[in-house]
Amino acid sequence: MNRLGIAALMAALLLGSAASAMAAPEDGITPLDLYTTAKAKSLAATYRTQLLQFSEHIYHCLPWVGVTKNGIGFRQPKGAESDDRYLSVWISIDQADDGRFGTLPLQRRVSAMFSRYGVDMLRRMTQLTGIASDADVYGFSVILTWLKPDSDATRQPISETLALFIDKTSLRDFLAKRLPASEFTTRSTFNVFEGKDLVGRLPLEVWEDNFNSTFKLKNYELAKGQKC
Amino acid sequence: MRSRITRATLAAAVLFLTGACATSEDWKVWREHTTHFASGEHGFFSLRNNKDGSNPKVYRSDIEDARNQNWWGIYAVTVSPTQIFQN
Repeated sequence: MNRLGIAALMAALLLGSAASAMAAPEDGITPLDLYTTAKAKSLAATYRTQLLQFSEHIYHCLPWVGVTKNGIGFRQPKGAESDDRYLSVWISIDQADDGRFGTLPLQRRVSAMFSRYGVDMLRRMTQLTGIASDADVYGFSVILTWLKPDSDATRQPISETLALFIDKTSLRDFLAKRLPASEFTTRSTFNVFEGKDLVGRLPLEVWEDNFNSTFKLKNYELAKGQKC
Repeated sequence: MRSRITRATLAAAVLFLTGACATSEDWKVWREHTTHFASGEHGFFSLRNNKDGSNPKVYRSDIEDARNQNWWGIYAVTVSPTQIFQN
């Protein structure tokens, strides 16, 4: 291949990777047509800019987690009877092969993940302009997914998932340290899943962990124009 | 002669055994990536960074690509959104 051909190939590769990188934060937003109620559509339309900024912030500033497709939106837990809307984010967490993490029982892994990532993401969502004070927003939700440690290498890997919903008053009081963690978890609606199997509600402990707000990824180059 | 047949049979058996675990989707992905580099993103990453690991630069798109290409075809079993939400 001559130099011109190589240059054209590299340009095509560059355009391809740039396009996929730019599309990712947008893909994290739940499209309007997936909502089934006027309240949910209205919230999603009103706060689209904030949701997109939030998705971009996670994408660029917290690269060790990834928002799943349609992972940010005003959702409600399965089985809810009233149209209470929770601003929800579903993130997939890159979990390095850590022997200590793998030795923890499931309920302890869930507690560790929620303490490290869940609380921080809930706090960030409450800081999005206008959303926490909107009367149509009932609460906030985090869905955390990570690979089950020590999965059998000969089989398809399995994820573990925590899905938690909390009303905004309880969350505000918990973040302000006016509500103890034990009461916060009592008031929360949550379930744990192994793969697609419902495990249900496990004892959930919450402790201080500032990893997600302080960690810096080695050799990571922030995209031009981005600030964290 | 017998030795040649034995060797050919052995080679065929090895090829069958090593390929038998891949699903049709895995093979489809594999056929679409026949070059040395696993993907365009992989090639671009390798060309940008030194082989000896000095002065490495990792962009967000590299992380996303690595996550998406996480051993092509072998995806983790994960709960479906419909098991958690209603819209």
